[in-house]
Amino acid sequence: MLEIKSVSKSFGELHVLKDVNLNVAKGEVVCIIGPSGSGKSTLLRCMNFISPPDSGEIVFDKVSWRSYRSKFNVLANLRYEKKLPQLRAEIGMVFQHFNVFPHMTTLENVSLGLQKVRKIKKDEAKQVATKSLEQVGLSDKLQVYPDQLSGGQKQRVAIARALALNPKVMLFDEVTSALDPELVSGILDEIRRLVREGMTMIIVTHEMKFAFQVAHRIVFMDQGKIVQVGTPAEIRNTQEPRAKAFLSSILE
Amino acid sequence: MDKYDFSWRIIQENLPELINGLIITLQISVAGMAFALLFGLFFATLRFSQYRILNIVSNSIVQVGRSLPLFVLLFWIYYGLSLKFKINFTDFQAGALALGITGGAYMAEVFRGGITAIDKGQSDAAFAIGLNRMQTSRLIVLPQAIRIILPQTVNIYVGLLKGATIVSVIGVADMIYVAQYVSLETFRPFELYSFAGVVFIALTLSVASFAWLLERQLSGKSRRG
Ligand SMILES: Nc1ncnc2c1ncn2[C@@H]1O[C@H](COP(=O)(O)OP(=O)(O)OP(=O)(O)O)[C@@H](O)[C@H]1O
Ligand SMILES: [Mg+2]
Repeated sequence: MLEIKSVSKSFGELHVLKDVNLNVAKGEVVCIIGPSGSGKSTLLRCMNFISPPDSGEIVFDKVSWRSYRSKFNVLANLRYEKKLPQLRAEIGMVFQHFNVFPHMTTLENVSLGLQKVRKIKKDEAKQVATKSLEQVGLSDKLQVYPDQLSGGQKQRVAIARALALNPKVMLFDEVTSALDPELVSGILDEIRRLVREGMTMIIVTHEMKFAFQVAHRIVFMDQGKIVQVGTPAEIRNTQEPRAKAFLSSILE
Repeated sequence: MDKYDFSWRIIQENLPELINGLIITLQISVAGMAFALLFGLFFATLRFSQYRILNIVSNSIVQVGRSLPLFVLLFWIYYGLSLKFKINFTDFQAGALALGITGGAYMAEVFRGGITAIDKGQSDAAFAIGLNRMQTSRLIVLPQAIRIILPQTVNIYVGLLKGATIVSVIGVADMIYVAQYVSLETFRPFELYSFAGVVFIALTLSVASFAWLLERQLSGKSRRG
């Protein structure tokens, strides 16, 4: 469903991703773990071209996507830009810092994409958005602005906002890292619900227990490379030195 | 110390002309502000462009525009362009343009500041749900930036309003110009200029309170999260 083919990316001199390859099948749950700065977020952001890869290819649903950027042909750049939203609308993403839109109510946050991207009429969009918000347990907060929500509730809005568009894949980037400890399990439960529903997901997380529980495969990244990929059991008993060191440092 | 008899009647007698001058002042400052918004938005957009060369060009123009005294700019536009390139502006046009360029240079910074103040996560999230660049600016970034931009825009307008008094030097019959020539006839500059001063205070205060109301209106609809 989602293939990452020799993706590389640098920020100036810093090589953040070095020839990364990964295949995610439909219905699969892949957790990405690794030390801070290893390129996990950047890899996720390359998948939907929020931060386009320098080279390499993303194949999504059999369609190949590559970065394109002409130095001179401005029109071609614009034409390319116009296509990207099609890809992004099929890939849901949830961020560490929620990134809910503070000038919109909960309901508006969720119905925006339905109206502007899916071109659904306002009334219908509100219905779909309401349903999506009900599923994350926020049916009593529809008309509330984000500044009146807790971190956990904001993250639920962000999850509902992504799910309302009915994406084929969901990307989660450390979605519990900015939450108070008592709110973490609620959000993890939302992801577990999606696992049961068979959603294809790529989850960057520091919650090791959770990762080993839900993942079909675990990817260990270090210094811009995928060092090891395996089932939770394989990774738990890894003999790869860096993965082993990382796990023992984080599990102690 | 000599006793100076204030004669405020002079104001009353020349009120119609002073008010005409005031109207010209308002017109030229509003026209200047319109240019300033246009220029500002244009140059701010260039500063965010992906093309390096446009960033540099826009940055330089903004820097020069901010450092040039309004007086010099006015002089160049009104006399310079006419002498050198046979481009003739009316005094009003030249004044509005000069105000627009100075104001635009400041507005470019205001727009840039307002937009960069918005967390990058906001546009990331907008892109992630499939909004395009235009939609992201229009629906997500600008509505949030406006709350930062608006108060500063009012400040710049107040600056232009005061800057507008300089156009009297090229003969625009603004309020200062009227005060000047009436005082040549009546020898009452103190009263006339003071009147102009009070009018400017009143103008500034009303513009500021309008902005305050607008800001309250906006923040009612859009909160920070
Ligand atoms: N926009 C950017 N500009 C410059 N450098 C960046 C940018 N984004 C990320 N980096 C750098 O790239 C490297 C990898 O960053 P990335 O955020 O992908 O790591 P990560 O594995 O997600 O780390 P963490 O666990 O801390 O979130 C880091 O060294 C970071 O400083
Ligand atoms: Mg990260």
